[in-house]
Amino acid sequence: MLLSVLTILLVVALIFLGVFITDFVRRRKSEKKYHLRESLVAYGLLLPSVILAFLFVLLPIVFSFKYAFYDYNFIEPDVEVFSGLDNFKRLFKELIHKKEFYYALRNTAIFVVLVVPLQIGLALLLALFCNNKRRGTTIFKICFFAPVAVSLSITAFLWASILDSNESGLLNTILMSFGMKEPQDFLKSDYFIIWIVAMSAWQGCGYQMLIFLSALGNIRKELYEAASIDGANAFRRFITITVPGLKPTFLFILITVFIGACRVLIQPMLLAPTYDTPYTTVSYYMYYYGLQTKEMQVGYSCAVALVMTIGIGTVTFIQRKLLGDKK
Amino acid sequence: MMSTNELLRREPNFIPAKKNKKKIVGDVIYYTIGTILSLIFILPLLYMVTASTKSPDAYAHALSDKNFILLFIPDFTNLKETFNNYKMILIDHELWKYALNSLLYAAIIIVFNVIVNGLAGYVLAKFDFPAKGFFNFIILFLIVVPIETSIIPLYTIMKQLLHLRQEMTVLGVIFPGVISIFNIFLFTQFFASIPKEYEEAMHIDGSSRVRIFFDLILPLSKPIVATTVAFSFIGVWNDYVWPDMILYKDTSWPLVPVQVALNSIRTIEGIEIGQTMAGLVLTTIPIFVIYTAAQKYIVKGFGTAGLKM
Repeated sequence: MLLSVLTILLVVALIFLGVFITDFVRRRKSEKKYHLRESLVAYGLLLPSVILAFLFVLLPIVFSFKYAFYDYNFIEPDVEVFSGLDNFKRLFKELIHKKEFYYALRNTAIFVVLVVPLQIGLALLLALFCNNKRRGTTIFKICFFAPVAVSLSITAFLWASILDSNESGLLNTILMSFGMKEPQDFLKSDYFIIWIVAMSAWQGCGYQMLIFLSALGNIRKELYEAASIDGANAFRRFITITVPGLKPTFLFILITVFIGACRVLIQPMLLAPTYDTPYTTVSYYMYYYGLQTKEMQVGYSCAVALVMTIGIGTVTFIQRKLLGDKK
Repeated sequence: MMSTNELLRREPNFIPAKKNKKKIVGDVIYYTIGTILSLIFILPLLYMVTASTKSPDAYAHALSDKNFILLFIPDFTNLKETFNNYKMILIDHELWKYALNSLLYAAIIIVFNVIVNGLAGYVLAKFDFPAKGFFNFIILFLIVVPIETSIIPLYTIMKQLLHLRQEMTVLGVIFPGVISIFNIFLFTQFFASIPKEYEEAMHIDGSSRVRIFFDLILPLSKPIVATTVAFSFIGVWNDYVWPDMILYKDTSWPLVPVQVALNSIRTIEGIEIGQTMAGLVLTTIPIFVIYTAAQKYIVKGFGTAGLKM
């Protein structure tokens, strides 16, 4: 491990030296010279952040990429066996034979497909609803935003108690007083992922609502006045002024919510009492195999991470190409 | 960008004048929908607060036939029971220790985060030195690559390379929290907009660059520092996965922060739901305080968050 750290350090240092020398040579021809003292102070002040960034940001990224092609685990942390594409083959096999990774991917896909439109749509509707002249919208905004202040783990604890499978669970109590016979185990059913979608959208959409509201406030009022003088009705004004005005914000929210949804981890981890194949997600699968199995298969876990990163990156890129400005 | 207050007071874009009768009907519909929507968002939280005020008996009574409406009405008539729930979770289940841990982590991380990343931002914004482009490129590269996916290798680095064991795992929480590439980026952008003349005046007076940073640059950058502090606090206080992974569990004084502790407290055999909920309420209060105190800066942060793309 130390050897690969030194290799990475050497590569980074060589790139730095290359840029350093080109900068220096270029500057020699120009009037403005570098000051030795200023340069030294600059490097000195950068040093703490450079060391920390190297150790805790750059190294993990490079290692993650490297281990994806290695058979590496925590039982024998000193043994690194290059295994080529074996990790990816195993992933692919699990996918084809509908084993664990298939469920992880399926659940994540269902979660993303449901939560992204639900959360963004809800946020947009709430923002439009609150963007109103009537009194009291502040109270509505506070109510809609309140769940955001509750952390994801607290939300999971709270909903675990609401969806509790025995008779004292809140939802079971309410449903049973309306005539449901048996208490339901909501989290052990096929609707598991639906509950996670509901919970996540409930918790998160207030945040995007505020961003939308801020964008709605930035649309110039004169545009609406001019349009209505020209005889455009409310719907027409919405389509021709509000929608284009919100587009950059919408793209930003779409990408951030999408990336966040792809990484869903805390909700299934805390809502399900133990790790169980039908209730996993890609992030949870990665986390579980890297850390919680006896073998601690870091290499395999990193392969999952790499596949996930590439997947997210590709879809984000497509979203930006399709919806982004052509600048 | 505007503050939340301005945002909340902002005039609507356009509401055409309508006849009175029509207006009243519209009002009724508007407020009905608003109330229903608000209830959907607020009811689970109301349940959380309510359950924390109830004794086990009162809770059981509320659960029995058709009484569930009581689960949404906080009961402050029996303050002794309410107080008992909060006392049990804080003292007997030692939530105060975990909360203190979280506060300490947050304080240390925030102070060093602002200093370390602020200095880096200052250097990149104001200094002239060779290979500056190298650092700018590294920052752009590292911002684009997602960090969460490298959480397992980060763990291997902590355990294998730095040999973090037992109490030392505290450093495993602090170090990665201190460095924030995105904050360096934010600070660089902001500091670059501070006019050179201020700095030169202090420079002529003989102040060192470090002194200029603390006496001039930081005080001039209150909005960006406040945004960073608020988001860092929320991030550290709410963090669950990483501290749960890295921290050593069997120490005489517990090391885990409050969110991780709550997960083990709530699964203790025979714990009353009122106590668990009191714990959830207590853990949420600091975040409410931060959002209220820093709302102006946080809404500004929405604008700067757009830069991240």
